[in-house]
Amino acid sequence: MMADSGPKEVAVIGNTELTSAELDNNIKNTMVEIEKGTSLLRKMEISVAEAEKRTGKNTVNMQEIYTVYLIETRPVDALTEGITPDSLWRRYSEFELLRNYLLVTYPFVVVAPLPEKRAEIVWHKLSADNMDPDFVERRRVGLENFLHRVASHPVLCNDNIFYIFLTEDKDWKEMVYETGFQAKADSRLKAVNAAFRVKNPDGRFTELKHYSDELQTVLSQLLRVRARVADRLYGVYKVHGNYGRVFSEWSAIEKEMGDGLQSAGHHMDAYAASVDDILEEEEHYADQLKEYLFYTDALRAVCRKHELTQFELEMVALDLACKKQQKEELVTGTVRTFSLKGMTSKLFGQETAEQREAKLQVLEQQLKEGEEAVKEKNTESDEFVKTAWVDIERFKDQKDRDLKEALISYAVMQISMCKKGIQVWTNAKECFNKM
Amino acid sequence: MSACTPKSLASSGQKPIQEMCHPLGAEEAVLTPSPDVRNITSSIGEKDQILPNGTPVETSSPSSSSSLLNRLQLDDDLDGETRDLFVTVDDPKKHVSTMETYITYRVVTKTTRVEFDLPEYTVRRRYQDFDWLRTKLEDSQPTHLIPPLPEKFVMKGVVDRFSEEFVETRRKALDKFLKRVADHPVLSFNEHLNSFLSAKDLNKRQGLALLSKMGESVKYVTGGYKLRGRPVEFSAMGDYLDMFTQKLGTIDRIAQRIIKEQSEYLAELKEYGPVYTTWAASEAELQGPLEGVASCMANCSIALDELTQDMSGDFLPVLREYVLYIESMKAVLKKRDNVQAEYEAKLEAAALRKEERPTVPTDVEKCQDRVECFNADLKSDWDQWQNNKTQDFRQLLTGMADHNIQYYEKVTAGDYWLMLSYVHLIQVVVQGAKGSVSY
Repeated sequence: MMADSGPKEVAVIGNTELTSAELDNNIKNTMVEIEKGTSLLRKMEISVAEAEKRTGKNTVNMQEIYTVYLIETRPVDALTEGITPDSLWRRYSEFELLRNYLLVTYPFVVVAPLPEKRAEIVWHKLSADNMDPDFVERRRVGLENFLHRVASHPVLCNDNIFYIFLTEDKDWKEMVYETGFQAKADSRLKAVNAAFRVKNPDGRFTELKHYSDELQTVLSQLLRVRARVADRLYGVYKVHGNYGRVFSEWSAIEKEMGDGLQSAGHHMDAYAASVDDILEEEEHYADQLKEYLFYTDALRAVCRKHELTQFELEMVALDLACKKQQKEELVTGTVRTFSLKGMTSKLFGQETAEQREAKLQVLEQQLKEGEEAVKEKNTESDEFVKTAWVDIERFKDQKDRDLKEALISYAVMQISMCKKGIQVWTNAKECFNKM
Repeated sequence: MSACTPKSLASSGQKPIQEMCHPLGAEEAVLTPSPDVRNITSSIGEKDQILPNGTPVETSSPSSSSSLLNRLQLDDDLDGETRDLFVTVDDPKKHVSTMETYITYRVVTKTTRVEFDLPEYTVRRRYQDFDWLRTKLEDSQPTHLIPPLPEKFVMKGVVDRFSEEFVETRRKALDKFLKRVADHPVLSFNEHLNSFLSAKDLNKRQGLALLSKMGESVKYVTGGYKLRGRPVEFSAMGDYLDMFTQKLGTIDRIAQRIIKEQSEYLAELKEYGPVYTTWAASEAELQGPLEGVASCMANCSIALDELTQDMSGDFLPVLREYVLYIESMKAVLKKRDNVQAEYEAKLEAAALRKEERPTVPTDVEKCQDRVECFNADLKSDWDQWQNNKTQDFRQLLTGMADHNIQYYEKVTAGDYWLMLSYVHLIQVVVQGAKGSVSY
C-alpha cells in the first residue's frame, strides 16, 4: 500500500505568502489533478510480474547478459478471471530513460526513485551480484513500486510517454527521444553555477535542501549500521545450531537424559533456522528506507531547479538594471561608471547627437525586451515555486505516512521475533525439564 | 498468606516453575501440610528453609532468580527418608587485614545426630577451609567420589574476585558442595566434616595433612602393578566419563562463542539506536515514532547485556566445575584400578609360593577386601553421581532457557510500549489513506 494516491486533504500548501485567492486556485488545480491522477491507477492494474535473463549484443557489439522485467497491465473493471493482462518486457535501462524523461519534463515534481542499480549496502548473506535471484526479486518489487508511485501521481500519471511505456512494446525509445527532452535538460555545470551565485532563493527551498542532505546522511548511516546489526544477529542465531548437534551426540551416551536432550536439540536447530525469515522481513524494511534515501536526490533536483530559475531571473533583472543605468547615463550625459568608451569619448571627443540618438533607440528596444524577459522569468519562477511547493507538500505527507507505517511494522516485526524466541526456548525448557 | 500453593515432599511431583513459590520470595511463612509446624518463618536472605522436625520443604528448580537460589536441594533419592543433617552456606562477608583481603561465608548446621555435641552450629569459613575439607575427604575416603569445589584460581584482572556476581556464584557452588557431602551416607559421618561444621577454629594442620597425602598417593599411584582384567562396568564408567568430558568441552566452547557473538551484536545495537535519535531531530511528525524505536533499541541493549552477564555467571562456571569433577572421578577410577592390580599381583605371587604356606596370606586377603570395598563404594557413589548429574544439568539447561525467555520478554515489553503509543496514529493513517491497512 505504499504508492497510494493520497487523501483529498493533500493539497495543504504551507506557503503563507500566497493570497487567499491564489490558495483557492491552487487547491482547485490540485484537486483536478488528483482526480486525474487517481483515475489512472483506478483504471489500470499495473504490476511487474516476472524477471528473466536475456542475452544480447550491447552498444559496443559485445555479448552481455541482462535481466528483463515483465510489465502487466489490465483494466480494473475486468477483474474477473480469465482476462489475461497485456504485457511487455522492459529492461532496467528503459526504466532509467523513462525516469530521466520525467525529471526533465516535470522539474517541479519530486519524482519517485528507481531501486538500486547495484546492491550497494550488503551484509554477508546478500550477494553484491546483480544476477543473484534475491537481488533481482527485490529489484522487481522496487520497479513495481516505482510504477505505482508514478501512476498515482496527480501530474505524472497523465503523461503520454508513461502510458506508452506501460502499453506499447515497439518504438517507445524512439518516441522518448523524439520529445527532445534531452535538449531541455539543464547542464550540470549550469545548475552548480547557479547554486553558488544565486542571491535570493526562496528560503523554504534552502531549508528543504538542508533537510534532504540531513536525511540522506542519517538514512545512509542507518542502513549501514542496520546491515551490521543484521550480520551479528545472524551469527548469534546460527551458533545455537551447534547446540543441536552436540545435544544429539550427547544424548547418545545418556540413558535418562537422552530423549530430553535430543528433542531440545531439535528446538535449537529450529531456533537457528528461524533467523532467515526474520532477516528477510527486515530487508523489506530496509528497502522502504532505501526508497526514501534515494528520494533525497529528487528533492535536491527540485531545489536545484528553483535555484536555476531564480538565478536566471536575477540575471535577467540585473541585465535590465544595467541597461536602465546605461540609458540614464546616455540621457543625462553623466558617466558614473568607468568605461573604455567613456574614456575614449573623453579623450577623443564626444559623439555626435545622431550617434547618441541611435544608441538611445537601441537601448530603448533592449529595455523593452529586457522588461519582457523579466516579466516572463518572473512568471516562470513563480509558477515553478507554486507547483513545486504543492508537490513538495504532497511528498512530505506521503513520506510521513509511509515511514510511520514502516516504523510501526518494524516494531511489529520485533515483537513477532521475540514471540518466536519465547516459544522456542519454552519448548526447549520443557524438554530439559523432562530429562 | 501467600497466594501460591506450598508443597512438601518430592513425591508430590514436579510442578512447572510458574506454580512454584520461591522459598524466599514471599515475606510470609512457607508452610507444609504438616500440622506440627508452628514457628517457621522465612525471611529473605538469612534463615534456612528447614523445619526442625526434619521434614524437608521442596523448593526445587529455582532457575528463575540468580541471586536467590534455593537453599535446599532435595535429592530425589532421599524421598521419604528422614534427613538428620542440614547445612547451608550463606552470608558472604569481606575481611580486610594487613596481610590479605578475603571472603568468608557463614556455615549453618542443624542436626540431630549424636556425632555432634550440639544440635546447631554457626561458623565462618573461607574458600581455603572448603579446600582443606575436600582434600581431607579425598584422603580419608579414597574409594568415594567427592563432590567438586568451584575453581580455586581466578585470573586477577580478568575476574573481579570481590564482585557480587563472582562471590554469589562461588557461594552457590560451595553450598552445593557441602549439601552433597552432608547427604552422602558415608562422607557425612567423616570426622573432618564434623570439625569443619562445628569447630570454632579449624585446626588444619596443613603440614601433616600434606605428608600423609603424599604417603598415601605414593602407595596407590606408584604401585607399578599392571591391571589384568578390569570389570566391564568400570571400563564403561571410564569411557562414559571420557565422552562426557568431550561433550562438556564442546558445550563450553559453544556457550563462549554465543556470548562473544552476543557481545558483538550488542556493540552494533548500541550504535544503531542513537541514529534514530539523530534522525528524529530533523523530523516533525516522525519524531515520536523515531524516538520510540530508539528507546526500544536501548531497552534491548540493556536486556541483552543482562543475558550475557547471566550466562557468563551462571552457566559457564557450572560447566567448568563439572569438568574438574570428572577429572577427580577419573583419578578415583585409576586408584581403583591400582588397588585391583596390586591385589592381582599379590595373589599371583602368593599362588607361586603356595607350597610354602597352606592358607592365603593375610595381606592378600586385605587386598581383596580393599578391592571389594572400593568397587562397592564406587558403584553406589556412581549411581548417586548420575542422579546428581541429571539434576544439575536439568537445572543448568532450564536456567539457560529461562535467561533467554526473560531476555525476549524484556524486549517485547519495550516494543509493546512503542506500539501502544502509536496505535492511535495507526487509526489516523488508516483513515487518511484510501486503502485499508491492517495489522
